[in-house]
Amino acid sequence: MKRLSRRLLLSSGLAWLAAGGARAAESAVVIVSSERSAAYQEAASAVQGELVRGGLAPREVLQLTAAEWAAAAPPVARLYVALGAEAAGLLARSELKAPVLCTLLPRAAFERALRDSGRRASNQFTALYLNQPLSRQFDLARLALPQAKRVGVLLGAESKGQQAQLEEAAEARNLKLVSAQVQPQEPVFGELRKILEEADVLLALADPQIYNSSSIQNVLLTSFRARVPMLAFSPAYVRAGALLAVYSTPTQIGQQAGVMARSYLQGRPLGAPQYPQEFSVSVNEHVARSLGLHLEVPTLTERLRRLEKGS
Amino acid sequence: MQARHLIHLSCLCATLGLARLGCAQTPEAVSEKDYLGDVPVVLSVSRLPQRLDETPGSVTILDRQMIRMSGARDVADLLRLVPGFRVSNSFESNTPQGSYHMGLGDYSNRMQVMVDGRSVYSVYMQGGTGPGLQTVALEDIERIEVHRGSNSAAYGARAFLGTIHIVTRDPVETQGVQAQAARGDNGIQDSLVRLGWGNESGSYRITADRRADLGLAGAAGPARVHRLNVRGDVRASNVDTLEFRAGQAVIDAGVGFEGDTGNAQRTRSNTASFVQLDWRRSLGVNEDLSVQFSHTDERVRDDFPYTPLAGLTIDFGGRAASDNLSFQHTVRTSDRVRLLWGGELRRESIASRPLFNTDSAFVTDFTRVFGNIEWRLHRDLLLNAGGMYERSSLGGEHVAPRVMLNWHLAEGHTLRYGLTQAFRPPSTYEKYSNVRYYLNGVLQDSTDVSRGNVAAEKIQAREIGYLADFPQFGLNLDFRVFEEDVRGVVKRQEYSLPGSGGNGKAYDYINSEDFNAHGHEYQIRWQPWRSGHIFFSQTFVDSGQSLSGTFPTRPYAAMALMVMQQLPQEASLALTYSQVDASVFPGQNLQSPAMSRTDLRLAKAVRLGKQRGEVSLVVQNLGPAYPDFRSDFYFRRQAYLMLRLEN
Repeated sequence: MKRLSRRLLLSSGLAWLAAGGARAAESAVVIVSSERSAAYQEAASAVQGELVRGGLAPREVLQLTAAEWAAAAPPVARLYVALGAEAAGLLARSELKAPVLCTLLPRAAFERALRDSGRRASNQFTALYLNQPLSRQFDLARLALPQAKRVGVLLGAESKGQQAQLEEAAEARNLKLVSAQVQPQEPVFGELRKILEEADVLLALADPQIYNSSSIQNVLLTSFRARVPMLAFSPAYVRAGALLAVYSTPTQIGQQAGVMARSYLQGRPLGAPQYPQEFSVSVNEHVARSLGLHLEVPTLTERLRRLEKGS
Repeated sequence: MQARHLIHLSCLCATLGLARLGCAQTPEAVSEKDYLGDVPVVLSVSRLPQRLDETPGSVTILDRQMIRMSGARDVADLLRLVPGFRVSNSFESNTPQGSYHMGLGDYSNRMQVMVDGRSVYSVYMQGGTGPGLQTVALEDIERIEVHRGSNSAAYGARAFLGTIHIVTRDPVETQGVQAQAARGDNGIQDSLVRLGWGNESGSYRITADRRADLGLAGAAGPARVHRLNVRGDVRASNVDTLEFRAGQAVIDAGVGFEGDTGNAQRTRSNTASFVQLDWRRSLGVNEDLSVQFSHTDERVRDDFPYTPLAGLTIDFGGRAASDNLSFQHTVRTSDRVRLLWGGELRRESIASRPLFNTDSAFVTDFTRVFGNIEWRLHRDLLLNAGGMYERSSLGGEHVAPRVMLNWHLAEGHTLRYGLTQAFRPPSTYEKYSNVRYYLNGVLQDSTDVSRGNVAAEKIQAREIGYLADFPQFGLNLDFRVFEEDVRGVVKRQEYSLPGSGGNGKAYDYINSEDFNAHGHEYQIRWQPWRSGHIFFSQTFVDSGQSLSGTFPTRPYAAMALMVMQQLPQEASLALTYSQVDASVFPGQNLQSPAMSRTDLRLAKAVRLGKQRGEVSLVVQNLGPAYPDFRSDFYFRRQAYLMLRLEN
């Protein structure tokens, strides 16, 4: 299925190039993906699916990669959807008459695109973030680990700006934040050790300085030894050994972006940048068992949804 | 030429993980790739330990906090906390040692001791556990897992009545420089220097330490342990880890007695050196493979002139070595089944003219195959079934099976029932000893001359365990009722050997005793409040083992208590109390009285500029001196002050 849709993307992009780019008929929506890999494709298909459900013909949705976009003059459309940081940056730098919805990118990447292009977030240039609001992560920590009172966070160059929001989110839930900032060039372990001495749960925030495929081994082994479970930001980390994670899948992001796009085409404004409404929870059952925990994904997800609706 | 040198240097730096120390990469900006990308599996199937309520047997874990706060200077000292253990601090027969359920002996060789997966029992000292317990500095130990009861199915023949697994700290956690020194009564002069470094692709550690004192009061003299240990863990790829370990421990102990011509006062020197290489490969979330190679070398120097006959030397020295190659495959075939299996080739060699009357080495080859299936029959019912097959040129063929059923009665309550069979092949010495004393080529006397008929000791054990966890009270209980049927215990027996010189008699090792031991033991861990921990254990054993030919056997009880409390101002206090019933001295055919010991440790964190550290005062044995190993060796009250600095 994935392979088929990838081929479709390729052929629609090639067809557009063959037709002479901008000279082709105007599309309703142009989706620009940072690259042509499975996750982007899943999101693009979900956007298109929602638009088709809203009455658009599939040919009115044009899918391009960032490279294809850069290779020819921008196609005319009523709405542009950028998937990923690179595509968002590219569209931010383009002079477009129609609004841009950036998605499948974390808030920090969107804000970087704004800074780099001198734009401001508006109905004309907005975002649906890929990352989760801190409130959701803290709520999940509380639901899954009610005994945990101190939430440890390691901050790096990319995440240190969130310190104040973290304090606020912790305080609102009667939790204590134990945070430490790792200086660039410094190894993570020194600060990690201090955090693990105090924290009951380690909240991982995406920051390549702290969490990358080289550092993850030591971080996970050390926190597991200290019996401090990790609440992570992606299912890959759960597979690697984090206890649990809350995240939105590319399909969930694509669907919500599709709904936003459909609503825009029906005359409503895109609105301010927002966090995803739909999310998934994933638990590493083996790690949970080893730590003596019993966590049920459907129950946790349901309780988290109810909690958000109630607030 | 210079370039080649540079290449060599950079290779060396890369190997030691120094290459990237000063040039960490500029951090990248966060993007969707951090959320959508893949990362390698870290906590794969073999890295996730079984929960204590799912292990096939009772396990006591002595963690870093207990190790440090106890003020203990030897692993053996910590074993007095573990239910069922008897401990001696004497260096007389080997080094401080512990024995589980059976009486202490010269070597207490019915347990397996492992350090990071490598068997460290002394091949030279008849499989004794003492020297192995001295392999690494206490400061380098992450935890000590004591599996109480027979465990040959998982840990090989030596795990006849228990396994002590010393797990050293991950070098990631020992980065930086640490130095410590202790001075105190009885000539205590301990010191340690540790250097740790590394980066994300590897971490390394070198530790040098000394443990020195004047030994037990009444014993011959100073006991000194000098150690050097090196460890390096390298991430060879996303799925491969290489671990390298090497080390040496030199144990010099004053033994013997002034004026005793057959056991003169002298210094015995025991040097153990090793290298160990581990390769682990993750084959996915559910599958791991590991391969280990190790080489261990032991040299013992222990001799003195026999004064009644000028020119005659009594010698117990010699050397031994072991090589081990093993692999282990762990696979989770479904949510219900986890399978572990593997094989091991081991070669032990021992050479000593004094002990065997030949310069040739005795070589024993062991072939082992082992496996365990952990099968969740039902959500609340877990079966562990496993076994080991061993073939050796010394002990023949044996199978050690084990079946254990863990039933989770309710959340936090587990009942366990199991059957185990294990064996211990005789040591090379027990089978081939040939101790002869010659003067100018004329045989003067013979002591141990084995006739080679000794076979493996066997044990059949049954146990019922109950584990309870009350998280709301911070309390955890592990209760175990056991029955151990031991057959063919190897004993030393005199026999007539005409022409052996002296009185025409010699000693043989034969399987001469069967006995039954039953009883119960339990341990409680309690964290009544956040800053306090309490550990309590009690043991009651009714054993038919004859610890001496003179005194009747009688039931035996022991208990231990440890209270740890964090105090304001980064101070801490720990009190350890242990008590054992009257028994028989391991080094003398005399009854030993009941003994108790209380240790106290007070510590306070200090800061010297950028360096963190700790000052601690330890008083061992607050009460009166008690006899240890022999009626004339005493453990007196001794205090020491320690300063530790780290950055």
